[in-house]
Amino acid sequence: MAKTVYVGMSGGVDSSVSALLLKEQGYKVVGVYMKNWSKDLPGMKCPWAEDLADAKRVAVKLGIDFYVWDFEKEYYEKVVEYMLSEFKKGNTPNPDIMCNQEIKFKLFYEKAMEAGADFIATGHYARVKHDKDGSVLLRAVDENKDQTYFLYRISKEALSHTLFPIGGMLKPEVKKLAEEKGLHNAYKKESMGVCFVGEVGMKDFLKEYIDIKPGEIREIESGEVLGYHEGAVFYTIGQRHGLYLNGKKGVVNDGMPYYVVKKDIKENVVYVSKNLNHEAIWTNELGLTDVFMRNDAIKENADVLVRLRHRAPLIAAKFDGKKLTFDKEIKRPASGQSAVVYDGEKCLGGGVII
Amino acid sequence: MGNYSILYYITLALICQIWYNSRMIYLDHAAATPVSEKVFWAMKPYFTDEFFNPSAAYLPAKKIAHDYGAAKAEIAHGIGAKASDLVITAGATEANNLAFTCLGAGKKEAARTKGKTGSSVLYLTTEHDSIRRVAELHGGEAIKVLPNGLIDLDDLKKKITDETELISIALVNNELGTIQPLAEVATIIREIKIDRMKRGVNRQLLLHSDASQALNLLDISVARLGVDLLTINAAKIYGPKGVGALYVSHDAKLKPLAVGGGQENGLRSGTENVPGVVGFAKAVTESKEHLNGNRKKYAKWRKLFLENLKDFELINKKHCLDNFIVLCFDGIDAERLVFLLEEREVYVATGAACAASKGVRSHVLTAIGLTDSQIAGSLRLTLGETNSEEQILAAAKIINEVVQEERNRVNG
Repeated sequence: MAKTVYVGMSGGVDSSVSALLLKEQGYKVVGVYMKNWSKDLPGMKCPWAEDLADAKRVAVKLGIDFYVWDFEKEYYEKVVEYMLSEFKKGNTPNPDIMCNQEIKFKLFYEKAMEAGADFIATGHYARVKHDKDGSVLLRAVDENKDQTYFLYRISKEALSHTLFPIGGMLKPEVKKLAEEKGLHNAYKKESMGVCFVGEVGMKDFLKEYIDIKPGEIREIESGEVLGYHEGAVFYTIGQRHGLYLNGKKGVVNDGMPYYVVKKDIKENVVYVSKNLNHEAIWTNELGLTDVFMRNDAIKENADVLVRLRHRAPLIAAKFDGKKLTFDKEIKRPASGQSAVVYDGEKCLGGGVII
Repeated sequence: MGNYSILYYITLALICQIWYNSRMIYLDHAAATPVSEKVFWAMKPYFTDEFFNPSAAYLPAKKIAHDYGAAKAEIAHGIGAKASDLVITAGATEANNLAFTCLGAGKKEAARTKGKTGSSVLYLTTEHDSIRRVAELHGGEAIKVLPNGLIDLDDLKKKITDETELISIALVNNELGTIQPLAEVATIIREIKIDRMKRGVNRQLLLHSDASQALNLLDISVARLGVDLLTINAAKIYGPKGVGALYVSHDAKLKPLAVGGGQENGLRSGTENVPGVVGFAKAVTESKEHLNGNRKKYAKWRKLFLENLKDFELINKKHCLDNFIVLCFDGIDAERLVFLLEEREVYVATGAACAASKGVRSHVLTAIGLTDSQIAGSLRLTLGETNSEEQILAAAKIINEVVQEERNRVNG
């Protein structure tokens, strides 16, 4: 009898083609749209209803069953509340990593298994190798689209029942296949991470939940007050936009931007600098917390490859299970972001940057 | 030369459109109608040649002002009103919102709300969102409908209090096509007004109706309906989108939603949409000319369609416009049917209509007491001028096939 796969369908081309491929491979495929967020924020419209209709249209076209699973409450509790509490601490958390860990590869996985699934599948660009010693998470063939950064801490159990049908394909191939098979969403623009908040929307989103608390923006070198902000928690290290600065008295503006280099959450002060070489920006060491290793415990001072942002280049480092050491100094990522470690194409795990 | 090439392309576009239309079967005329050819050509000069601002001082502009006034009069005539009774808006939603500005006329808000016992706004529970949302903003209370979709007049009587200022009831419901007995409502309102006067209760009581769906199939007269405010719309009667109007009786005192140059008696500022209003007028006149013929035609098509359709339940059996067919296929997800029919170039709406795209259950179908599974299985078909008898027969055949396919898939 054909094995049953529950596919998370977002309405985008990647998950649509994933469902298509599984169907062609002879699986009994069931499509599920996960409704995680439906609230419209002022000036931001989340196109979830449209995404749902797109996903359903594809399911109908493929002749597969289709359900909507409402995880809105759980998403709020597990992802949004986590995000808010981390921001309040001054960190910059990654909601997509949390969403995969808590929603897609936990709630969705569990519910699909209960419903009789043999596997779950998603349209992520990643690969999984199911061995008798366990399942291994591998980077996607399309190096430019690899999404293992978002998947490094999904549970081992869920991964052992997961398929990533497009992990071996390049994005243009996925698009071409969608076109050939008449999947209308081949041209749909890509969704950007979390549905309800793109990069631009984060501050507006946070303001819905966190009260504005004005504070000073100081130049780190001189300590001089250059302007005021609406709350240190709204700012991220490295940020250069959205800073309302008056400039320095008696100094002609040279047009060079100021960057946020440090936040003092307790005193509610944001420190900025024009100096891109400032010591607060650069480091050759990163401490990690909440480390999650996928398959094996890390050996003493292992040579690994590290990714510090989705799609960022891989950097060589030494890893002792708690701390990453780099040969050359790197720009310090915001605390709360993840560092994901690899051995070749194998994702070993990772942790949250302190 | 330039003029001719424009005409050439427009003609070419029209021919292409006719060719394209002959392939598809469009059964969603309650959502949108194409602009009729006569309407299109009536509007055209006002886009390109007669483009002047009606408020300008020179003679060519005066002509435009005159044409605009004549077009408004033509629209007003279609509902038995005068041009000066109409406020032109950008569609029905704006007209509906404008109607609610009558609340609290002549009174200070504090005095109005002091010691309030009832709601100042009553609206039918099956109203379109453009009424429901604004009514909710004013703390409105919903009037129930009977299982046949008609207003529960007892519930209405029970809910009218001395606080009630405005009652809003659509002449035709947009999901079911149900025609409401507005004249009966108006009679009830008149009695209450007389009673209020006797008791010295000095508060307005106005009747508003959204007649967007009805203008081309019902003979509408504001006097006969007994309404104080009436919303009409060009987009549903083969006129342009984004043009509507609110009829305002002398008893209703409105406030503008947007201020500026003071056009439309100060109630709707902004340079007049001359081509839109000219098109609206043409659409109204055309509708009136073909009113009876169209009703007969749609009634015949509706009957023909239902005779040829298999295994369905008809939801809107009575009291509805002749071009509305709301069906339920038991155990079938209507939204899947929409997509399956889309592949066969048959375009229909689910009973939930725009509710579907918002991912919520239709409040209209819930209000008439349908079960969740009935709601999930219901389709709304609205016939119109793009259809023909052959198309109606073809549509029934295709729907039968698609429903059978889907049943086979489900039973696997």
